[in-house]
Amino acid sequence: MRSRLRRLAPALAAVLVLSPLVRVAESDTYPLSTYPMFTADRGSIHDFATVVGVDGAGAVVRLSPEVIAGTDEVVLASVTVERAVARDRAEGLCEAVAARAGRPLTEIIVRSETVDLVAHIVDDEPALAIVEHARCDVTP
Amino acid sequence: MIKRLAVLRILMFTYAAIWTTVRAPHLLDTTDLESIRFDPIGPLWFLQAPVPDGLVLVLVVVTPLAAALAALGWRYRLTAPLAAFSFLMITTYRNSWGQLFHTENLASLQLIVLAIATVAGSVWSLDARRHPSRARASADDGRWAVDAMAVLAVGTYFLAGVAKVRISGWDWVSGDTLLHQVTFDNVRKELLGDPSSPLAAWFVGQTWLMAPAAVASMILELGAPLALLHRRVGQVWALAAVGFHLGVLVLMYIMFPYHLLAIGLAPLLPVENLAPRLARTTVGRAWTRHFRLASSTSPVAG
Repeated sequence: MRSRLRRLAPALAAVLVLSPLVRVAESDTYPLSTYPMFTADRGSIHDFATVVGVDGAGAVVRLSPEVIAGTDEVVLASVTVERAVARDRAEGLCEAVAARAGRPLTEIIVRSETVDLVAHIVDDEPALAIVEHARCDVTP
Repeated sequence: MIKRLAVLRILMFTYAAIWTTVRAPHLLDTTDLESIRFDPIGPLWFLQAPVPDGLVLVLVVVTPLAAALAALGWRYRLTAPLAAFSFLMITTYRNSWGQLFHTENLASLQLIVLAIATVAGSVWSLDARRHPSRARASADDGRWAVDAMAVLAVGTYFLAGVAKVRISGWDWVSGDTLLHQVTFDNVRKELLGDPSSPLAAWFVGQTWLMAPAAVASMILELGAPLALLHRRVGQVWALAAVGFHLGVLVLMYIMFPYHLLAIGLAPLLPVENLAPRLARTTVGRAWTRHFRLASSTSPVAG
């Protein structure tokens, strides 16, 4: 019995953990993942949906994931902004961020930034293009 | 092998207890998320809407408590399944908001094995202290569970390698995909106000490093099953995997704590040898007194 269990248990574990192989590679779930992260080439130019603040001097200020989406997870914050932009709900997000941000910021902007990834990281190159989706005031 | 299983019980359930405690604020954040974002997956696929806030709170409280008790081996047949189940539920729920994380998959699966392997609670545990007569276990008991957890660990890495080939083909080893992944992740962090890696710029500037780094990653992942063939190979592979996660942490500021601390890889390592060394520390002496770790009354043969 014990020797049978010793052979069977690892085999069952193998079947379980490798079962995602029968799914489409991009079809991910939890806890039996296909592990599709880090697999696809994202290319060197990428659009990022972001939310920034503007201070009293007119300077752009980067906001934390907590202010942007009420979470400390940057990935969740990113998805939140992407979805709001894609679903034409940028203004609602803008108001929500403004309520969380408060002073000394005067404005919140939901925007997309097109970035050359390597140039930005290595040479600190600014965004190639910026498209504004929503802008709202931060009320005191 | 029963001693290794006992150490795995302590390591893995302690990790689950600490992780759910540290991440409690984030887990509770899910109660404030808009329900439109709810996208149930895995074991929670059947949910039509977010669960009541009170249930999330119960899971956030119960999981670390049950995990801590399972680590101590207190009423293990009850606390281990409860901890494994609640950890699976709370991590699944956390992943049901439109973004999947891949840091706790292996922990969830290995905790299930530990919960099934009730013999894990028969050594160096409060149960063994309370009922020494029931705590009879031979040295080879629980080998199946250790082997199953090793297979789970190796399998996850193998799957990650296969996914790269399935999605990007063998071009992945050219290094371009790795370059763009490292830069993408750091830029996203920067634009969304999260700390990014100060070493990323240097690494990305060393373009000649990309292909070798990609090849090394692919060998580690696709070669993972070799770790099951021989004890020494398994140990070397596990240490290489820790190095891989250290690289990911340094270059991308992405932490896989369960893997980085080698807890998920511990079934491949002689972690039972740590016990005598730890027993000589102050905490270890207290533990030894409590659990009769090194006493002659230990019921464990091996």
